[in-house]
Amino acid sequence: MPKHEPVLLKNMLQPGYTGSLADYERAGGYQALKKVVGKVAPADVTAMVIKSGLRGRGGAGFPTGVKWNFLPKDYKGTKYLCCNADESEPGTFKDRQLMERDPHQVLEGIAIACYAIGAETAYIYIRGEFVLGSKILDQAVTEARAAGYLGKNVLGTGVNVDIWVHRGAGAYICGEETALLESLEGKRGLPRVKPPFPATSGLYGKPTVINNVETLANLPHIVNRGPEWFASIGSPPKSAGTRIFCVSGHVKRPGNYEVPMGITCRELIFEQAGGMRGDKPLKAFIPGGASAPFLTPDHLDVKLDFESVAQAGSMLGSGGVTVMEEGTDMVWAALRLMEFFHHESCGKCSPCREGSSWLVQTLRRILAKRGRMEDLETLVQLCNNIAGRTVCAFGDAEVAPILSTLKYWRPEYEALIREAEAHRAHELPMAAARH
Amino acid sequence: MPNVAVETVKLTIDGQSLTVPKGTLVIEAARQVGVMVPHFCYHPKLKPDANCRMCLVEIEKIPKLQTACSTPVAEGMVVRTATTVVNEAHKSVLEFILANHPLDCPVCDQGGRCDLQDFSHEYTPTTSRFIEVKRVFQKEYFSPLIEKQMNRCVQCLRCVRYCDEVMDVKALAPVNRGTMTEIKHFGTHELDCEFCGGCIQICPVGAITSRLSMYEFRPWMLKRADTVCTYCGDGCQITLQTKDNQLIEVNSSLGAGRNNGDLCARGYFGYHATTHPDRLTTPLVRRDGRLVPATWDEALEYVAETFAQLKLKHGAQVFAGVITARCTNEDLYLFQKFMRLAVGTNKLDSSARYGQVNAVRALCRIQGTHRWPVTFEDIAAAEALLLVGTNITEANPITGLRVKEAVKKHGATLLTVESLQPTVGTISNIANLAAHHFTAHPDQYKPVVLGLIKAVIEEGLADQPLSQKAPAYLQAIRDAVHALSWPTIEAATGSSAASFKEAARAFARTARAVIIVGAGVLREPGASGLAATLQDLLLLTGHHGRPGCGLAPLAEQNNDQGAVEMGTVTECLPGPCDLDDQEARARVSALWQEDLPQGPGLTIPEILEEARGKTLKALYLVGEDPVGSLPESARAKEALEGVEFLVCQELFLTETAQMAHVVLPACSYAEKDGTFTNTEGHVQQVRHAIEPVGESRPDWEIFSDLAGLMGYPLEYGDAKDLLKEIRALVPGYNLPGPTPKPSRPDHTAVDRYLQQGYAEDLGERYRYTPPVKAAGRLTLLVDQSLFHSGKFSTKAKGLLHLQAEGAVSLNPADAARLGIVEGDRVLLSNELGHCRTTAKVWDRIPAGLCRFPEHFDQEARRLLSVSIDVATGVPYYRSAQVKVEKAQ
Repeated sequence: MPKHEPVLLKNMLQPGYTGSLADYERAGGYQALKKVVGKVAPADVTAMVIKSGLRGRGGAGFPTGVKWNFLPKDYKGTKYLCCNADESEPGTFKDRQLMERDPHQVLEGIAIACYAIGAETAYIYIRGEFVLGSKILDQAVTEARAAGYLGKNVLGTGVNVDIWVHRGAGAYICGEETALLESLEGKRGLPRVKPPFPATSGLYGKPTVINNVETLANLPHIVNRGPEWFASIGSPPKSAGTRIFCVSGHVKRPGNYEVPMGITCRELIFEQAGGMRGDKPLKAFIPGGASAPFLTPDHLDVKLDFESVAQAGSMLGSGGVTVMEEGTDMVWAALRLMEFFHHESCGKCSPCREGSSWLVQTLRRILAKRGRMEDLETLVQLCNNIAGRTVCAFGDAEVAPILSTLKYWRPEYEALIREAEAHRAHELPMAAARH
Repeated sequence: MPNVAVETVKLTIDGQSLTVPKGTLVIEAARQVGVMVPHFCYHPKLKPDANCRMCLVEIEKIPKLQTACSTPVAEGMVVRTATTVVNEAHKSVLEFILANHPLDCPVCDQGGRCDLQDFSHEYTPTTSRFIEVKRVFQKEYFSPLIEKQMNRCVQCLRCVRYCDEVMDVKALAPVNRGTMTEIKHFGTHELDCEFCGGCIQICPVGAITSRLSMYEFRPWMLKRADTVCTYCGDGCQITLQTKDNQLIEVNSSLGAGRNNGDLCARGYFGYHATTHPDRLTTPLVRRDGRLVPATWDEALEYVAETFAQLKLKHGAQVFAGVITARCTNEDLYLFQKFMRLAVGTNKLDSSARYGQVNAVRALCRIQGTHRWPVTFEDIAAAEALLLVGTNITEANPITGLRVKEAVKKHGATLLTVESLQPTVGTISNIANLAAHHFTAHPDQYKPVVLGLIKAVIEEGLADQPLSQKAPAYLQAIRDAVHALSWPTIEAATGSSAASFKEAARAFARTARAVIIVGAGVLREPGASGLAATLQDLLLLTGHHGRPGCGLAPLAEQNNDQGAVEMGTVTECLPGPCDLDDQEARARVSALWQEDLPQGPGLTIPEILEEARGKTLKALYLVGEDPVGSLPESARAKEALEGVEFLVCQELFLTETAQMAHVVLPACSYAEKDGTFTNTEGHVQQVRHAIEPVGESRPDWEIFSDLAGLMGYPLEYGDAKDLLKEIRALVPGYNLPGPTPKPSRPDHTAVDRYLQQGYAEDLGERYRYTPPVKAAGRLTLLVDQSLFHSGKFSTKAKGLLHLQAEGAVSLNPADAARLGIVEGDRVLLSNELGHCRTTAKVWDRIPAGLCRFPEHFDQEARRLLSVSIDVATGVPYYRSAQVKVEKAQ
């Protein structure tokens, strides 16, 4: 049993909890909304969130209240809130559970955020494959609307909050906030050039805030138990609160674990997730989704908070922790992820579009024992030529698997290439000359 | 353009300091100091997309490299475009772009003018590190005119963005993801769009090329001539590219001409008309009833001699001449001089009679000047635009682009009164961009305009100063619109009073408003009156005379405006001045050193009338084909049969030319020099691109020779000599600048109108009598289509690929009611005759209306009757009431 008190997963861990409005209300649901709407000034809600130290749970970890404050102050027109539920990062599956098992917690969070930023309309952009989640959310929205928590004149306060659930069409890139907006507007989901940032010109050109599901789900708790309470959890001030880590891979008990930020990787993998499958030694792990560079057993004592993981050369990202045991082929692992990125590169920017196909082909060639030593140098150079040269962060993300595996497991690449060279020595001179 | 003080920003680029307007992009600022930042996706006409990543530059204090195309300048910014880091970045991006490129330059028509080639030459080593498998797209048939070679595509999306942002057509889209992204159109059929050629021209590589000249050339073999397109009044600058005296290709360049690089299908794909094999190559003289080839000497001597004999026998008043406004100013000017001096008659006219005369008259009457008070730039900068009967996408596509720019880029409010419905289709529909649209039949333009004026008065939107300045005028309009009830207007237009009021508010409460009128107004009965009433709307809302505001009537032909200014319409002398303006007569006669002929002029309908009455003995037609272009009810053939001596100067042996006694082969615009004056009054240089076809000669040379043979030497060294003489008589013909200076209304004329001028016809103009329509009939409108212009374009093979024959377009509900489906043969009939054609069902056609393209109207013309404007002598024959039924 977990030794940390869960916050976001608490309700659903109760036996018989169905996630219905009645269940949620019984568990104290919508009290936070009642507490703020029409009673606390929106600016004070934002101040509360800033004080809590809540940072975005989607990947970039931007302070939530600060983001809200970027909306133009004297602007009176339409604003939007978008809940980013396009959870597509390989190895990440926390938002899905939050939406499927306790949808009202998310809706209450959205309603509070809408109130704080002055948005009357919120869109939940949910990953296309989450058919179940979208149905559950739709039903929850209907329930909440009927109960007066959503819709026109929320709780009789004159505040309006309409939530619409929109299913994506199956592109990873639509989790990137500006591509999400494009897709929501009915266009091809390609990232926009920033500036302008969504805070000034977002959905339909209106000021827009985009928050992750888990981020929003934290809001009712911050309101109910106070920002000081939230700020005391985890490793404040930079990494306050709990985090749901999605542990997958070669562990005994894969799953979602909500723990305070700042516990070590070792604790998460070996205590929470039950340790390695078959008690084999751990070879590698990704601490924050496929976009985060691989780490090694040497990093097991790194604390799982934003700063510590960054210092270790990776990132806390989406909280998707993928664990690999001894014997995993790291070139294969890098290729597996690279194939994903190649498949999902939207094609807007030349370096990412062309680079992803080049990288994937070179990796395949190396794995097929047709590599050359100079390929390794090319791989590194190509990666460096992609990172930082694209419109969105996809370019930085896609090079992580190759650069980090080359950093820690270069001998595995070299071994494959040496095999290739040995093989090539038997080829006819003409063919040898070509490669 | 609006003169607003612009905030400026100081910055340094590669060590050079410069000051540019705030908001300028780094890439543009760099260009100003001669620094070219390499790029593919950036284009000044398009919103930055920053997708190619080629234009990365270093900006001090920003850690990552930034794209110069999407970064606006900032005060004190220090930009470096040529550091090692930047160069490495350019190399690496190019390496990526080249990775999947097929390197098929030897068979690529873009080779030699390809950005990818040029940048590769500059940045990349000669060998590639890429040894993987290149991505290959299956070759697909795209369209008869446009070739798509996706393996060469660099996915910059310029074509897609141009098609959407500039053309508002949205025919292209990127399909699939990542390296498999390819540019496609929608649907499984071949490309169906406006065919403006913009995607070909804007493609930085050879991914989209023209099929009309595929594999025929290498760019460096081509000879170029910058000239002006003749397919409409917009006056687009085009570059005719030739090889061995053959027209190979048309281009237009950003920053050049009034079109600023944009073209339409006619301009881009219509160039083959001039070199059609049917072109006349030698003079023809009728001998024993047959036209047989003759030498120029024979033909000209024959004409001169016959003219002289007829003149001696009957005097000069038995002569008449008509010239097409497609000719250059120099041709037009010399034609009227020839007719007035060598022949000695004022009985001359030009095709400007068919509509432009109405436009110029209305402008002269109220604003006192004969040119637009606005420019294309003013249209783009307008806050409110009112389009009445323009059919702008099809008639004047490039003016249309300025309207689209105003709405799409600058958020202008558009009001449209058009014979089309706002529906999405394969060609852009200006009504889709309108905030207020009134669907109108040709006879509904007037009640809609009256409705707008009534709304302006009733909503208290009338300009305050006007009530002091011209109380009687205001009261007269007030009374006139008061007499019109809203139910009458609502019944006449099918639009509600509320919609008029909303539209009137949107129009009146803006600082810059432009009204554009087209053939729907200018070539329909009541034209001059309605054009005046529209100026009342400008006067009432206080827009008249304000810079950037005014009435802009669209010219249909390339030199309609020039024809009037050259004095080639019968009521005008060069200037244009009234024929009976004594001061002007003295001025012209002093310059010509000859007395001007006395006696009245004749309009085209009057010339035909006199010919029918056999009082006309000789008729000189230059580029005009009354038999082939006027409705049968005009009885042009019968009239011309009555003429003793008919001379036609033509490119082709037209129906009229076949009746001529002498046919003289003339050069097309591509073979001669001179000037055209476009719809906004901008005089532009026409330059020959090829040598004359056969023995054809420029029109003015023929007039000059004939005059010499007749003993009235009109000698000029070249077209420039003529232009010099024109300058002495016609203002605005000095060295043409890049942009025209719009004419400022003459206040005495405006005052004259406000004090008493309005009174002469205000009652008539504000009276509305519902038209009598027979039940069960549709209004047939014979007008311009996007892919053709007059009959000339029907000789262009490129355009024939797009539209090779006429078809009647019907509203879907009408078609359903009549049991007609797309492709059916239908019979159109009325009292005058009948014609069979194919039906096309098109949802942009309003109910009760059907359209037929005038370019293929040989049979449809039987259905049209002609009515003649009492005031301006303009013959109207664009619409008729017809019965439509499925042919058996």
